[in-house]
Amino acid sequence: MSAPHPIICLLLFPGGLMLLASSLFYEWLERKLVARFQNRIGPKVYQPVADMLKLIVKEEVIPKSVNRTLFILLPIFGFACVMTASLYVPMFGVDAAIGMSGDLVITMYLLSAMSVCLGMAGANSLNRFAVVGATRTLTQLFAYEAPFMLSLLLPAIAAQSWNIATITKYAEGKTWMMLTLPIGFVISIIGVMGKLEIPPFDAPEAESEIVSGALSEYSGRGLALFRIAKNVELVVCLSLIAAFYLGGIGNPLLFILKTFVLLAVIALLQSSLTRFRIDQTIGLWWQVGAILSLAQLMVLIMVKVL
Amino acid sequence: MTELQEINKSTSAKKYIVPIGPQHPALKEPGHFQFTVEGEIVVDATIRLGYVHRGIEKAAEQRNYTQVLYLVERVCGICSHSHGTAFIQCAEKLAGVEIPPRAKAVRAIAGEIERLHSHLLWLGVASHGGGFDSMFMYSWRDREIVMEILENFFGNRVNYSVNIPGGVKEDITTEFIDQVTPKLEYLKKRMEYYLDVINTDITFRQRTVNIGKIGKVETDKLGATGPTARASGVARDMRITRPYDGYDLFPVNIVTDDRCDLNARFVVRIKECIESILYIIDVMNRMPDGELTAKMPRKIPAGEYMSSVEAPRGELFYFVRSNGTENPDRVKIRTASLCNWGTVVSSVAKGHKLADMPMILSGIDPCFSCNDRMVQISRGKNDSEVWTWEQLRKYGIEYYQ
Repeated sequence: MSAPHPIICLLLFPGGLMLLASSLFYEWLERKLVARFQNRIGPKVYQPVADMLKLIVKEEVIPKSVNRTLFILLPIFGFACVMTASLYVPMFGVDAAIGMSGDLVITMYLLSAMSVCLGMAGANSLNRFAVVGATRTLTQLFAYEAPFMLSLLLPAIAAQSWNIATITKYAEGKTWMMLTLPIGFVISIIGVMGKLEIPPFDAPEAESEIVSGALSEYSGRGLALFRIAKNVELVVCLSLIAAFYLGGIGNPLLFILKTFVLLAVIALLQSSLTRFRIDQTIGLWWQVGAILSLAQLMVLIMVKVL
Repeated sequence: MTELQEINKSTSAKKYIVPIGPQHPALKEPGHFQFTVEGEIVVDATIRLGYVHRGIEKAAEQRNYTQVLYLVERVCGICSHSHGTAFIQCAEKLAGVEIPPRAKAVRAIAGEIERLHSHLLWLGVASHGGGFDSMFMYSWRDREIVMEILENFFGNRVNYSVNIPGGVKEDITTEFIDQVTPKLEYLKKRMEYYLDVINTDITFRQRTVNIGKIGKVETDKLGATGPTARASGVARDMRITRPYDGYDLFPVNIVTDDRCDLNARFVVRIKECIESILYIIDVMNRMPDGELTAKMPRKIPAGEYMSSVEAPRGELFYFVRSNGTENPDRVKIRTASLCNWGTVVSSVAKGHKLADMPMILSGIDPCFSCNDRMVQISRGKNDSEVWTWEQLRKYGIEYYQ
């Protein structure tokens, strides 16, 4: 399928409205699945929409002690970053709106910028929970970032291109890379969980210790934007993994189904594990994640060279 | 620079304090903790209680014994039966009334059902503190079975008021036994499953094994009670050391663990639940025949009596002094949570990560509104003093300012 006009891509499909609506749907699906795994009933399908609407119409309280400009701009910037990232990724099985050589690096950069925004939002405030949360968010960023990047670079090296479209085309022609690069696949899934602070990697926003971490001072629109940005990031990451590891784009319907399966795996993991402490998170990523992904890289290079 | 920033600048140079409470998502009741942290490591911890002081001890002096029985049940919503039992035992002993064996058995059964629901509630709260929400949801769903038993049988889910002066008001019927036994057997299976999860789940063990360790000697010295003490190998259980209503007829098995850490506290409580289930089934099938109540006088003869009851959280202590009228002259309550705070603040908290704090705090199963009383520690041996009403009033006003 060829991509439509860039303006349509940006505002309607696959970016813009379509992406916002689907991100809310993905959030609902995740919440519902976790609820069912936890033996609860779970929310109705319109619950995320209702949540967002409520947050958007609520008054936004800006604390005296923060830098006002940063406080207002950070959520917008973070949101813009993930929305832009979606343009490079084949969302919903449609070819990416923009493509250029090296767009994989831009996408990864834009996705990380969101986490940095989150950390800065926490550090901007004087609230102690927010500061501790920000420290943890940024610490966690350093933990998962390298292995996660490696896990996305593995398909790139296999396809010998930095272009997402080329990699997806390569993935389409081969056996699913999930089978040929199993460690990379697992690390990319867990990396998404670390990136989005999904349990068990939710130490940066552990409510029983630090209320809601870096976002403790946010209310109203700012909080809504950050939450939507996180949801969009989830969809973008899942699409990227599905395109790389689960056999390229292929049939759009099948592609969306694949992302749902990935989401179900994430929901299952998140409801069956206990939260890691931040030191345990770092230990896990650097002692296990980084070494395993390096080993996978070595294997890949050996196979390529020989 | 704003005022806030100045304050923060002046204090942050010295130490970084993370305040928990009085209003905080981790706390279900108000309390205030200050954790001084260096990075993620807690180097000091202080505690401030007293946000829900209700003056129950004073209120008890203006009511008659039957009214006080219902009043003290409201000290704690979770262990309402233990409070009632501890109080009414004092009154019965002072009046020289021996309650019938069947009433004793009913009291013991109610106490064990209460232990079940309290431990299940705790299991959920503690796992939520550690970020294991699935356990929270599962255990609270199973707790609903216990709540149903309480509601069907005693009429209420929380303040079930089984006790009346001189006995109990509800009988254990054969229909009740038939109805409850399958439910309890199902619960036993669930508890065995939780025990398995706690002992085998890697991520859960990472968060509990060797966390919050407190040695046997130290636990003993700090006067910890209940499951907190038993998880450190201190065999202290009022049901066994000073058997009271019911437990003198039907002895119960003690559960201890020598590992002294948070995991041991989980294991002890879950094994206690299994013990409780076996105990309830056993007692229900061996119910003594006879009356449910003995005659109790309205005016209790003058005298003093102390009674201890093993509440789900530990030793619950009641002192009652009677002056021969319908109303008690003095009622003194010491709850189990108060004894256990020392284990958290004095030694366990320091050196741990901030992330372990919610679990360590909930590890003693704290009940905040039970704690609200004035505590003054005198270092010398013989410097006891008597405070006048004015002094107390002044202290109270200053404290809450």
